[in-house]
Amino acid sequence: MTTDTLQEAAPPVSKFSVRTVLHNAGIGLALLALILFFSVFTEHFLTPNNITNILTQITINLILAVGMTFVILIGGIDLSVGSVMAFAAVVAGKAITLPGFGPAEAIALAIVAATLTGVLCGFLNGAISAYWALPSFIITLGMLNIARGAALQVSEAQTIYSFPFAFEEFGSAMIYGVPVVFLVALVLVFIAWFVLNFTVFGRLIYGIGNNEEAVRLAGHSVSRYKIAAFTICGLTAGIAAIVYMARLNISSPIAGIGFELNAIAAVIIGGTSLSGGRGSVIGTLLGAFIIGVLANGLILIGLSDFMRQMITGVVIIVAVILDYYRAKYAST
Amino acid sequence: MAARLAAAPAAAPETPFLSVLGLKKYFGGVKALDGVSFSLEEGEVHALVGENGAGKSTLIKILSGVFPYDSGEISLAGDAYRPSSPHNAKGHGIQVVHQEFNLLDHLTIAENISIEDMPTGRFGLLDRKEMNRRARQALDAIGLTDINVTQPVSSLGIAHRQLVEIARALQSKSRILILDEPTATLTERETKRLFDIVGGIKADGVTVVFVSHHLDEVFAICDRVTVFRNGKTIATDLISEMTPEGVVQRMVGRKLAEGLEDQETHATGETALRVENLLTQANPGETGVSLDLKAGEIVGIAGLVGAGRTEILRGIFGIDPVRAGTIHRNGKEVRFNGPKDAIAAGIGFVTEDRKDEGLILDMPIAANMSLASLKSVSKSGLLQLASETKRAREGGAKLKLKYGKTSDAVSSLSGGNQQKVVLAKWLARGPQVLLLDEPTRGVDVGAKAEIYAILKDLAREGVALLVVSSEMPELMTLADRILVLAEHRIQGELGRADFSEENILKLAYGQTPEAAGDTQ
Repeated sequence: MTTDTLQEAAPPVSKFSVRTVLHNAGIGLALLALILFFSVFTEHFLTPNNITNILTQITINLILAVGMTFVILIGGIDLSVGSVMAFAAVVAGKAITLPGFGPAEAIALAIVAATLTGVLCGFLNGAISAYWALPSFIITLGMLNIARGAALQVSEAQTIYSFPFAFEEFGSAMIYGVPVVFLVALVLVFIAWFVLNFTVFGRLIYGIGNNEEAVRLAGHSVSRYKIAAFTICGLTAGIAAIVYMARLNISSPIAGIGFELNAIAAVIIGGTSLSGGRGSVIGTLLGAFIIGVLANGLILIGLSDFMRQMITGVVIIVAVILDYYRAKYAST
Repeated sequence: MAARLAAAPAAAPETPFLSVLGLKKYFGGVKALDGVSFSLEEGEVHALVGENGAGKSTLIKILSGVFPYDSGEISLAGDAYRPSSPHNAKGHGIQVVHQEFNLLDHLTIAENISIEDMPTGRFGLLDRKEMNRRARQALDAIGLTDINVTQPVSSLGIAHRQLVEIARALQSKSRILILDEPTATLTERETKRLFDIVGGIKADGVTVVFVSHHLDEVFAICDRVTVFRNGKTIATDLISEMTPEGVVQRMVGRKLAEGLEDQETHATGETALRVENLLTQANPGETGVSLDLKAGEIVGIAGLVGAGRTEILRGIFGIDPVRAGTIHRNGKEVRFNGPKDAIAAGIGFVTEDRKDEGLILDMPIAANMSLASLKSVSKSGLLQLASETKRAREGGAKLKLKYGKTSDAVSSLSGGNQQKVVLAKWLARGPQVLLLDEPTRGVDVGAKAEIYAILKDLAREGVALLVVSSEMPELMTLADRILVLAEHRIQGELGRADFSEENILKLAYGQTPEAAGDTQ
């Protein structure tokens, strides 16, 4: 009886969490195995420099994947994030190079421009697919082209450069060898985790992914939450654009091609179900790490970039197969 | 059909056609079957009854090759029987018509019937003519001569889909046909048609296993009945030597406290809900539905499937747009643009379909219970998980919910307990008007009585309840008065004094019974 009461005292999401923890542990173990493998078989993998490298390399994908997690949890998909990121970067690049502003104002303007662009694109994705009940796959495929075209149009297909020095500094700043931009991504992961687990909004995101009709009949505006999920995804694309600009000191209209697929891969490897309703942003964090560690380690080991790409593909398929068995195990 | 086994009446009951002995089945550490023994004689109709979770479904899945069994013996016509797959079971002549449909909506009836064995002509191409001929034959065999086999299944009503499933099962050579709650979605008339078909199948020498929650049906068509409880078989009896009460006692293992004779009428208050000339989109006519619902009153809505019962509830709750008509809540006209508005006006809706509309199966019990009242378990958007757990436990205790932890997924509960969670979800809001659509579908006898008691308590507390049900005894137990729908119109109203299945049926079939000439 006492043990029962003790268990009962745990928050009601605990089963979810326990399952998520176990299941994240699986992904975590896979990540650990990879790290161990590369540490043993390469000299340079576990050096501070290389670790900093990996963290820098996964940052943008992680930021995009955090937003993507929301969209996939409601059973949607966003194919436009790579293009939206480029579009946001170009708009912000135009803003930051406007004459007549001091560096601080210019940077602030760029940040506002990038996030607003991302939010607008995400909102349109969500609003159109929710209002007409159309598959987000096709709507965001349209947005992928619109945003890419807009990026090229606005920039006149030119790379924008010469940003304020302070902006560059932010992009390459480190705290104990940890890139500040990676910390930004970590903060986003934490916020997303909190929102998904401890807010009404997060609860309904999971609810909609599991059974949209039940949520609607319980009196909640399903389309509002769907639009919100896509808007969050657009917002993270805008934030990714800022990080991208700060890291590379340019805004290129052809940036981010294929980034959407890496973000989706991170979410799926992280154990979030493509049909929605099941998964976690912690899984997404681990998924992004797995992709990043693989990419880095396989190159260090001496494999070609082509081989790296093939192996990443295999990992995605294996992750989904594992998820199939996990779902099967969970249901019996 | 003609090619089926020659009818061999059960002349020698000593050698059962199928015998099951000491069957056990575990899922992980959970015992699903804990010693099941029974036998089937050739050409009998054999009922399996028991509360949900008693093991009937598991047994059926084992017989039909979905699960292997852990220990025990099954023999079919004298040979050991251990089906390796559903396909293998079908090869042995064992067919199941499931509770949930397995039809492909966008294919034609003929394609569905032949799906397991498509006839091919030369070059392996589909022989459409032969396929349609076979389907015609299969439908004719069960008396569905009026249905065109080339129309898509999606154009059929739910009852006809069930019959098409039966036709499909019979089309392959069946020796044992298992009907898993075949009448759950049928109206009385359709049920009768099904029984006629079962009689015909039996006469052809097929053994029928009939799983049902309706004892009157069991007593109407079965020869023997086997009762399950907690994964064990309790007894097999000849129907002719058994009474429904005796069967219920065996099922629950105790005397049923709540009888159907509770004739109390309680005081009712002001009109809580008034609907005038509500025309739903499904209603092809121009005459709408009008009804009054007082606080503390339980009003039943009876009628055949397709008479527009569910549509009224959906219209009131703002799910489906209505063509015309007005809704008054506490005397004031209201207009609901969605469930949200209806809920804000103090209305709750326990939907017919738990899995699709009522519950989020993979989410915890507590999360399901708070789904319609998230404001009361949160502060400025932040969930207060401790308070949610506490409320879930209180809600569970009030409804005598049987569960492990409030953090368990709802899918881990039995049907009756799942239904209680749906109820708890609405009760958490303290609604003044509760709409209920088939509140005890797929719920076992014990839980049914408990749900009736809960609903009556609610009425006593002043909640107005509008209950749609296909089970006439249910309505007669619960309701203060019953409105009978026929073709989207209220054909008549019955007060308690006039309650009888005969009166309800007459109205449902569009007639005016003498006894119910004066409505109350």
